[in-house]
Amino acid sequence: MGTRRKTGAGHTFRRVMTAALIVALVALSAAGCSAPTSKASAPAAEKAPIKLGAVLSLTGTYAGLGVPERNAIEMEVARINAAGGIGGRSIEVVYEDDATDPAKAQAATTRLIEREGVLGIIGATGTGQTMGMRADIDRAGIPQVSMAGGNAVTAQFDKLVFQTPWPNRIVVPFTLDFMKKAGITTIALLTDSGGYGKDGRQVVLDDVAKYGVTVVADETFNAGDTDMTTQLTKIKAKAPQAVWMWAAGKEGAIIVKNAKDLDPSGSMRIFGAPGNGRTEFIDGAGAAAEGFTFAAGRILAPDSYGRGTKAFKVATDFIGRYTQKYGKAPDIFAGHAYDAISILADALKRAGSDADSAKLRDAIEATKGLVGVGGTFDLSATDHNGLTAKDLVMYRIEGGVWKVVE
Amino acid sequence: MSDRTRRFAQSGGAVLAAAAVLALPLVVTDRYLLKVLTFVGLNVIIVAGMAVLFGYAGQVSLGHAAFTGIGAYTCGFLTARAGWPWMTAVAAAVALSALGGLALALPSLRLRGHYLAMATLGFSVIANIVFVEAKSLTGGNDGLSGIPFASVGPVRLDTPWSNYLLVWGAAVVVVALVSGIVRGRPGRAMAALQGSEMGAMACGVDPVRVKVTAFTLSAGLAGLSGALFASAVGFVSPTSFALETSIILLAMVVLGGTRSVAGPVLAAVALTLLTYIDGLIPGLSKTTVAALQDWKGDIYGVVIVGVMLFVPAGMAGLARAWRRKSRSVTGAGEAA
Amino acid sequence: MGAAQLLQFTIAGLKNGAIYALIALGFTIVYASTGILNFAQGEFYMLGGMVAVWALRTLGLPLLAAVPAAVLVTVGVGALVERLALRPRRAEAPLVLIIITIGVSMLLQSLARHLFGPNEVALPPFTAGPSITFFGAAIERQTLWVWGLTAVALLVLWVLYTRTKLGLAMRATAVSHDSSRLVGIDTARVVMVTFALAAALGALAGVAVAPLTQTAYDVGARIGLKGFAAAILGGLGGPVAAVAGGLVLGLTESLSAAFISSTYKDAIALVVLLAVIFLKPSGLFGRAGREKV
Repeated sequence: MGTRRKTGAGHTFRRVMTAALIVALVALSAAGCSAPTSKASAPAAEKAPIKLGAVLSLTGTYAGLGVPERNAIEMEVARINAAGGIGGRSIEVVYEDDATDPAKAQAATTRLIEREGVLGIIGATGTGQTMGMRADIDRAGIPQVSMAGGNAVTAQFDKLVFQTPWPNRIVVPFTLDFMKKAGITTIALLTDSGGYGKDGRQVVLDDVAKYGVTVVADETFNAGDTDMTTQLTKIKAKAPQAVWMWAAGKEGAIIVKNAKDLDPSGSMRIFGAPGNGRTEFIDGAGAAAEGFTFAAGRILAPDSYGRGTKAFKVATDFIGRYTQKYGKAPDIFAGHAYDAISILADALKRAGSDADSAKLRDAIEATKGLVGVGGTFDLSATDHNGLTAKDLVMYRIEGGVWKVVE
Repeated sequence: MSDRTRRFAQSGGAVLAAAAVLALPLVVTDRYLLKVLTFVGLNVIIVAGMAVLFGYAGQVSLGHAAFTGIGAYTCGFLTARAGWPWMTAVAAAVALSALGGLALALPSLRLRGHYLAMATLGFSVIANIVFVEAKSLTGGNDGLSGIPFASVGPVRLDTPWSNYLLVWGAAVVVVALVSGIVRGRPGRAMAALQGSEMGAMACGVDPVRVKVTAFTLSAGLAGLSGALFASAVGFVSPTSFALETSIILLAMVVLGGTRSVAGPVLAAVALTLLTYIDGLIPGLSKTTVAALQDWKGDIYGVVIVGVMLFVPAGMAGLARAWRRKSRSVTGAGEAA
Repeated sequence: MGAAQLLQFTIAGLKNGAIYALIALGFTIVYASTGILNFAQGEFYMLGGMVAVWALRTLGLPLLAAVPAAVLVTVGVGALVERLALRPRRAEAPLVLIIITIGVSMLLQSLARHLFGPNEVALPPFTAGPSITFFGAAIERQTLWVWGLTAVALLVLWVLYTRTKLGLAMRATAVSHDSSRLVGIDTARVVMVTFALAAALGALAGVAVAPLTQTAYDVGARIGLKGFAAAILGGLGGPVAAVAGGLVLGLTESLSAAFISSTYKDAIALVVLLAVIFLKPSGLFGRAGREKV
């Protein structure tokens, strides 16, 4: 090892490096500023626009969900405005990032209410964030349409809070019914210790008895775990007919791969949840995903609505426009966001473009037969989700794509 | 300027700053701004305690978010589910967090540096698992909601203004208290320990007692902040007390500098405000706000690295250097 | 419990353990020559996987070229971080430098989200094919790669430390920067080489694990935490201690999940870790009196 001291050269080197760093940072921030941000040009905007807020997880753990949600909302608002808006007024959505943190979601809600004076709020992406917003929503009396699938969102009832995804109290009985018909009586649970898995697990444990199904093993894993072989080895020892996993992230792909290794013959069928309806899951699991079964809405296979039906038209239209604009087919989360803005736009049309928040809330609650991409929404004073088992189908992954199970 | 007049000017400045902070709601009508400033005050309370722990007692903690969580859940559960009066619940929250600090400090006495950091970090992660799993007490992942506002007798603090005053009132008291501690006997004992543990022991300083006291105090203050957070926000969930929060808190203390309370407090104010920067600068276009939100992580990282690169001794070090300079200009003879 | 099941639990534990070990090695070698803990180590792991996927998918490189490319890019980032963010302040207290690495990790994670997007991405296994059955237990082929890499890394580091001049310089720097400089060692260069090496180790781990787990812009923080725990458990000593720490941590988690509770496996592993450092404050294999803070 040499002892050369690059005195003069070292100084120049430092200067060059500092300059390079500054240039790189400036270039990066310029790139960030020029990132595509749609300016909703509104031909109908003679009058002041109708202001709505959206609290989304654009960074942090749920960034993969929040970004497609924003895409869907932006695209849909642009379409509504291009078509003349609502009663001659365009819609303006103010976006807030909650960084997947309930406290930030709450602060964002305050900002939307106090600063922007929004009429209603879409959000949040996650259940925890949605619940964190509630105190401010209640105080301001503003309707909230959440895209989080947690049971708590509408089960802990609030007259101002609505929910677009299929809640677990619909998904779980639907899947159990399918299992019963398939002759499955013993299952093992392998659930995420985060909010999504905990919610699903509880509903499953509450409901299994009604369908004559027994839970023989009840294992969990944590977000970010890299191997679930240990849990699956324990499960395999109990020889259940099926393993029901509740995992929305990349852990789902690890589970099916580990299961395939331990059980190459496939004596245990693997079931999942709507959160597995993402192409990333199939990419990650590869061949191990074959035969994987889960319940979700018909957005993943609009053909199942029956060609020519209104629902088919709505779904294919949305999928086509989204794919064209963003170069990627929409996932279920984009669908939940489309439904949220559709519910609000539909309610605004009925309530009139000059409605206040209270009228808007009443109009949302009166939504009937609204065809979205997640299903047909029939809301009422006691049901703030409005979807039923009729909106769900079972999917099985075959040949690297999900197919509807008849 | 003599030392006495300097000290007089300093305490005068502190009183003025406190008065200005508490008088702010008279001029600020923006409820969002008040909410953000309330969050700032909550961090100030935690960081003031950590300034003693790190800056004076030389202990590194990567687990203080856990104590905040213990305080928040205790206060939330006791007021929302058990129907305790607010004051009693807050007292219980502080006591329980302090107890948690004591329980962690005692076995950690032999640990130094990175091993202490690991112990506190491990405690923080375990506490978070408990927050998630103890569903009947904490509400699990869905969080604990419906926590009532702070109330003393018939007075209910249910406006952003009153919550701001509550939190900043507590923050001012805490900062004053902590400053008193570090200037008095305990502070000198800690300083002696930092110099030489053996030497300090020879002078009758009990290192065990000093370290355990500092840890317990800072944990109790973190718990107080948590309790106030629970009643001001009305909702508590585990993600607010995750490891990242502990790391940010430590960054605030280090950015503030050692042997100072004002430095870390200012750093807490600055870094907390930075999180809400896109909502605080008036007149930004929608595109700029979106870009700021998108690039917040990068900006935060660059600021932390930048401050440490250019002001490695932290804000307190900067102030000390500046004072030294002005002193040498006005004449070295006066300062002893 | 049958023997095959016990073997399967052990394999699972050693697989995770080897991943932790590779991260712990990065922590340990940086700690040895600088006295700081590099909290950006997990981001090197993330960068390795993400850059490999990017090179494969976007640049269309074959896997054989994408993997070394990812390691090289990460090494470049590691060297740059050392040169630009750490070297100017090396005289400061270790905690100042640790906070810098925390800032760097925030920046790297956020930049990765801008560059690669928020979704998880998949990398194909290095060698395709079904799992290997070993006394009734299944082992993925990629797991063999992870173990192989860990063994090679350990061997290379051992040779480097004990058999080369550079290694001697690294060990001397670990003992004292000042005396090393006095005997003519360019300590600045040693530290930069150490960082590059740590980045290479992190990137290799990230690339080797991505086929098993997929990867995403935010995987660094959690794996960094595990690697830190493993390094502390090993006692921040030599490479062997780091690998032992990683394997013990992985096994503890796996056996806790197997015999106690999968929900509390992380908590149990941490309680074991806390018990170890409370009872033996210098870790399982650390020597007392080497503490640098």
